[in-house]
Amino acid sequence: MIYFDNSATTKPIPEVIETVCNSLSSDTLFGNPGSLHELGTIVTKEYNNQFKAIASVLHCYENELYFTSCATESANTAILGYITRHKREGNIIISTRTEHKATLETLKKAEEFGFIIKFVDVDRNGKPKLDMLEELISDEVILMCFTHVNNETGSILPLDEIVNIRNKKNRKIAIYLDMVQSVGKLAIDLKKMNIEMGSFSGHKIHSVKGTGLLYVKAGVSINPYILGGGQQNNMRSGTQSLVLAEAFRVALEEAYKHFDESHETVHEINKFLREELVKREAVILSPDDALDYVLNVSFKGFESETMLHCLEKYGIYVSTISACSSKTKKVSYVLLDMGIDRKTAGNSIRLSFSRFNTMEEAKTFIASVDEIYKLFAL
Amino acid sequence: MGSNVILARMGEVTLKGLNRGVFENKLMSNLKYRLKGFGKLSIFQSQSRLWIEPKDENNEYFESEAKAMDLLNACTQVFGIVSVSFASKFEGGFDEIVKESIACVENYINNHPEHKTFKVESKRGDKSFPMTSMELSGEVGYEILEHFPQLSVDVKNPDFVLSVEVREFNYVYAGKIMGHRGLPVGTAGKGMLLLSGGIDSPVAGYMMASRGMQLDAVYFHSYPYTSDRAKDKVIDLAKIVSRFSGRMNLYVVDFTQIQLDMYKNSRQDMLTVTMRRVMFQIAEELAKKSGCGCLITGESLGQVASQTLEAINITNEVVELPVFRPLIGLDKEATCDLSRKIGAFETSILPYEDCCTVFVAKHPKTHPKHKDIEEAESKLDIKQMVFDGVNKNLEIIEI
Repeated sequence: MIYFDNSATTKPIPEVIETVCNSLSSDTLFGNPGSLHELGTIVTKEYNNQFKAIASVLHCYENELYFTSCATESANTAILGYITRHKREGNIIISTRTEHKATLETLKKAEEFGFIIKFVDVDRNGKPKLDMLEELISDEVILMCFTHVNNETGSILPLDEIVNIRNKKNRKIAIYLDMVQSVGKLAIDLKKMNIEMGSFSGHKIHSVKGTGLLYVKAGVSINPYILGGGQQNNMRSGTQSLVLAEAFRVALEEAYKHFDESHETVHEINKFLREELVKREAVILSPDDALDYVLNVSFKGFESETMLHCLEKYGIYVSTISACSSKTKKVSYVLLDMGIDRKTAGNSIRLSFSRFNTMEEAKTFIASVDEIYKLFAL
Repeated sequence: MGSNVILARMGEVTLKGLNRGVFENKLMSNLKYRLKGFGKLSIFQSQSRLWIEPKDENNEYFESEAKAMDLLNACTQVFGIVSVSFASKFEGGFDEIVKESIACVENYINNHPEHKTFKVESKRGDKSFPMTSMELSGEVGYEILEHFPQLSVDVKNPDFVLSVEVREFNYVYAGKIMGHRGLPVGTAGKGMLLLSGGIDSPVAGYMMASRGMQLDAVYFHSYPYTSDRAKDKVIDLAKIVSRFSGRMNLYVVDFTQIQLDMYKNSRQDMLTVTMRRVMFQIAEELAKKSGCGCLITGESLGQVASQTLEAINITNEVVELPVFRPLIGLDKEATCDLSRKIGAFETSILPYEDCCTVFVAKHPKTHPKHKDIEEAESKLDIKQMVFDGVNKNLEIIEI
């Protein structure tokens, strides 16, 4: 099996599995952190240790982090929590049309609440047009939502420039950043990044599903989204899960422990594939300066889904946003917004890598593509 | 819940003459087959109706309303049954009849609070009962009015009818659920349904089954151009049709190579018609092998390019067996309604299609002539294609 679909999800690493198993089999760690007895104290202490460890990796304070069930929940909490709290300060939100659905659907909800969403266009490389952004910023804007690394193309956001523009035009605007695809793959220094809120997901970095994280900068107030017993400083109620927190922490630590070697491997794979695919008349849709972990490529003469199933025949797993059917054709809105034509976008496949992929796999991939062209090209 | 027996009424079957027994026996065996999995049941015929009773005292399907509905719905899906009712069966005289009638009406109006008028219909098999049927109806009606002041009697057009039957046992029941009528499956031979993942073909299968036809089905799979999810969807649709038509074999033809050949060596504007001609011939071979006497398709006149009169003629002439097209005169909306009625619609509209856009011509010929098809097929070895379709990688799935 060759798994080139690591932006969809990843396989949990042994370190995570071991931690989870130990935690679940422990005689004491099953306790409820809210309990007043000894077990509660032990678990609370362990739970707080996870925050400490994560905060040190992400360079923030531990009280700026909240565990959630997934990045989608983090996005919902951050966006809706912020705008409902700050609605008196303005009613405009700025974003791009190439955000993940977790953001776009939440912004639709915000529209129902009376907010106005203004979209910045993106260029051929998937980056927001900064002059347009500058024009859109006014006193009425309270929030800007962006993605650090686009999940379909690997396009990296020019965050520093955006923060500078914000600081110049209206310092009061909060920035929410989706860091699902960048965590573990780019250095994250929340103290330096100058953003107010952010979301992370564990299962994209070899942890388990059900592990999300929300960052809210100290001093930024937002309304809680999930109400109840007031856990996690009243920001996210619900009994805390130590085992999930541990699973996230271990995966995050491992990701940064292997950061350099991982980059090297993935860079080599990406470079090789780009070179070989271009020779085969494939069009690389990811920008040249994209994160190496994501490679979006359009195969001439193969609709996305056909290529996906062809590769599946060879035990290679990739993904596609575009899907074909005899009546309707769904084409990736991200690619279309980048100005890529429908046909090219309709033939696009996303390859996404992890540090566990190898050059051997990349070579097998190319050999399989050659065979697929021979057997199935129309 | 006091109800402990189901009675099912037969329709068209009872109008049959000398061979009525054949139809009734088939209906009975179909019902028994359909009700497998609902616990041990005793199913028998009496007074031109079918009666279904649990053999064990604690059959869960007679204990809760929701479970009972599953059982009743299963009964209504057996072709030949016009309607079904849940009834209470009990012993005793007039007092017991009143007691059970009140319980029955109470249950009924809980489920149908909008129903305000009723009438009582009585039948006596046991003529020694000390009241006439008319008297019994009147007295039971009186008691019900006393007990449910919100109800009133309307003998001409009641919202519901309470039926009371006095035989060896007494029976009371209110309301009925309509069945799908038709003739028992298996009384009209067997047909081969060309099943795709769309809306039409499952409905076509349902319609032929409603005339007593048993079904097998054939599906043409073009992996990797179509996903295995599309195949799973067709299997799901076959299962939905088989709720009505009984056991069926689904033949999955590996169509990839045939379709590729055709795409490369045929005329683009004739692709669909050429493809359908090959599909028909493969389906006919499979039909003959499995004892089917006809093909069944979901074609509707003029719906798409391959369903014009000319295209249908050209497709039709490659096969000897008759091709039944029960939807030929229906518009799409009517077909969708039927699809919803049989519970297939939600599955049919799932996005996994049977035929990828890559194999569909942009401008198909809507009025093909013989010389068009001759030219389109001139470079194809149709015989070999049909042979491959029937023999290479054929998968047979028992539904």
